[in-house]
Amino acid sequence: MARLKLSGVKKDFGGVEVIKGVDLDIEDGEFVVFVGPSGCGKSTLLRLIAGLEEISGGQLEIDGRVSNDVPSRDRGIAMVFQSYALYPHLTVAENMGFSLSLRKTPKAEIDRSVLQAATILKLEHLLDRKPSQLSGGQRQRVAIGRAIVREPSIFLFDEPLSNLDAALRMETRTEIAKLHRDLAATMIYVTHDQVEAMTLADKIVVLKGGVVQQVGAPMELYRNPCNAFVAGFIGSPRMNLLKVDVTSVEDGKARLAQPGLEHLVVPAGRVTAPGKALLGVRPQTLTLNPGQHQVSGTVTLVERMGPETVISIRLADGSSLLAVLPGDVEQALDANVSFSFADTDVRLFPASDLEN
Amino acid sequence: MRAERILVNAGKTLAVLLLLVWSLFPIVFIITSSFKPGREIFAVPPQWLFEPTFDHYITLWQRWAVFFHGLLNSTIVTIGAAALAVVASTCAGYVYSRYSSRWLGASLLSLIAIRLIPPIVVTLPLFPIVNNLGLADTHFILSVLYATFFVSLGTVLMRTFVDQIPRELDEAASMDGATLPVILWRIIMPLAAPGIIAVAVFVVVFAWNEFLFAFIFTSTKAKTAPLVISEMIGSIEGVDWGVLFAASTIQLLPVLIFVMLMNRYLVAGLTAGATKG
Ligand SMILES: Nc1ncnc2c1ncn2[C@@H]1O[C@H](COP(=O)(O)OP(=O)(O)OP(=O)(O)O)[C@@H](O)[C@H]1O
Ligand SMILES: [Mg+2]
Repeated sequence: MARLKLSGVKKDFGGVEVIKGVDLDIEDGEFVVFVGPSGCGKSTLLRLIAGLEEISGGQLEIDGRVSNDVPSRDRGIAMVFQSYALYPHLTVAENMGFSLSLRKTPKAEIDRSVLQAATILKLEHLLDRKPSQLSGGQRQRVAIGRAIVREPSIFLFDEPLSNLDAALRMETRTEIAKLHRDLAATMIYVTHDQVEAMTLADKIVVLKGGVVQQVGAPMELYRNPCNAFVAGFIGSPRMNLLKVDVTSVEDGKARLAQPGLEHLVVPAGRVTAPGKALLGVRPQTLTLNPGQHQVSGTVTLVERMGPETVISIRLADGSSLLAVLPGDVEQALDANVSFSFADTDVRLFPASDLEN
Repeated sequence: MRAERILVNAGKTLAVLLLLVWSLFPIVFIITSSFKPGREIFAVPPQWLFEPTFDHYITLWQRWAVFFHGLLNSTIVTIGAAALAVVASTCAGYVYSRYSSRWLGASLLSLIAIRLIPPIVVTLPLFPIVNNLGLADTHFILSVLYATFFVSLGTVLMRTFVDQIPRELDEAASMDGATLPVILWRIIMPLAAPGIIAVAVFVVVFAWNEFLFAFIFTSTKAKTAPLVISEMIGSIEGVDWGVLFAASTIQLLPVLIFVMLMNRYLVAGLTAGATKG
């Protein structure tokens, strides 16, 4: 069990700053997920917590104790690597018991702990095999088992499911969620799969370019993204971001000038002055029924999935818009269609959000 | 076509046979001669059928006890040199594989460059120093010298092997609670075993047979077997070839057996890194 506190944590690699001052509080027993695009520094942040990289600036506290210089072996942290990193010359049982054997734990006790973890992960019949004789999913479970046996206070996972096929991902995801409930340990999980993030997390941390964009519960981020980047990142398919012109901002309300959107008045959010802005509309909130606020374009793609239909249209300004309609909808390509939406379902962001 | 193939195959077989004779003849000659009665050793034409005798071995045992002491010295020096070279090469190879900086790169280059200088040039000036330190005629100084000659090659070889061990294994082990020496001992060394064997074979073969440096740096206490054999040739009573061949046979066998046992790993070791992208 452990709390974790990062204050202004920075990391640079030979002058290039990769983590640019991260502040983060992680409560005891929390499941925290780091998400963000490739190269945003998720793994680096995780490795800083693990003690595999040296922190260049700021402070890392584990259970109230400044731990910047504590070697990783003394941090009470276990990590599951994306590549599993099993010791190829040791059997499954030896892999799982390695940490205990280093601590000079009696053999009988090691065997018991290993067997216990193996039972949880359904690995009992594989204990004598070498990692090379296992399937990808089994290796993954051994890697998790190795972490469990240590009884760490914090578990770190770096994209643990990315090498598995879709069915196995879902199964292992469920197992990890169950593990979190059973062990009640603090877990930090890196992924760029936003389904994993939404389903597993108590708290999601959205990173971009080494900077935390927003921290919050999954549905909080879904409903109230603080900027266009988070809005586009959380939710699938991604939120549409329409380029719009704001004509006036009054009493926290913004008025738009756009064919079809003349009557739209929305909460201005962080938009304070007339000019360019981004209007976020979730694909699932669009309907083909006529309404007061509309966007029109030509159909470029129709994907009929059965329970839902995805339609993509090209707008007059050349950008595209995605709609997810319930049920099976027949729609001809190249036709002109209009989608409407309710003014309560949209959010306005400054155009500067998507710059840089 | 067929005839050509047969010709090529015959050529290949002949070449292999020639090579075999070329490399095996001295060995076979030495071993058989050690069991021949003295007169028959240089008989022309050579006698392939003879009654084996152990006379030479008995004489060796009785008159050249110093040879067996030399063997003991050779064994100590060889094992010492191999252990030293393996440990130093593994540690250095690990550092060159896992860390990088301008200085490390430069030092690796200089390691290889220094290897090109004839060892004797570097070593001879050491003689007075070794003498003053009281290290002359000790097993220690020979072990250190022999190990030193192979540390540069060994380091480069071990680096190739360590390069093939994913860094995450070190990291996983360190999170599991291992210190650096434990990581080296429990993870790196077992996984780089073929490389370690390759380094050991090089050092063992060299150290076991080395003459010049042993001649310079030892006199009695640490005198190695090859020195005793050379004394047999210079002995005042004239050369007893049978005894000489018996000593050579004993000198030859351990390395021969060792290399044959390690052959499998040696090939794996020397070709490592050749195929992996
Ligand atoms: N050892 C290193 N030396 C130099 N730069 C590094 C090093 N490790 C990471 N970086 C850089 O830091 C940035 C963040 O890398 P990181 O691996 O943390 O990204 P990530 O968010 O995990 O991406 P992905 O989703 O692709 O795994 C990248 O630009 C990367 O090039
Ligand atoms: Mg990563």
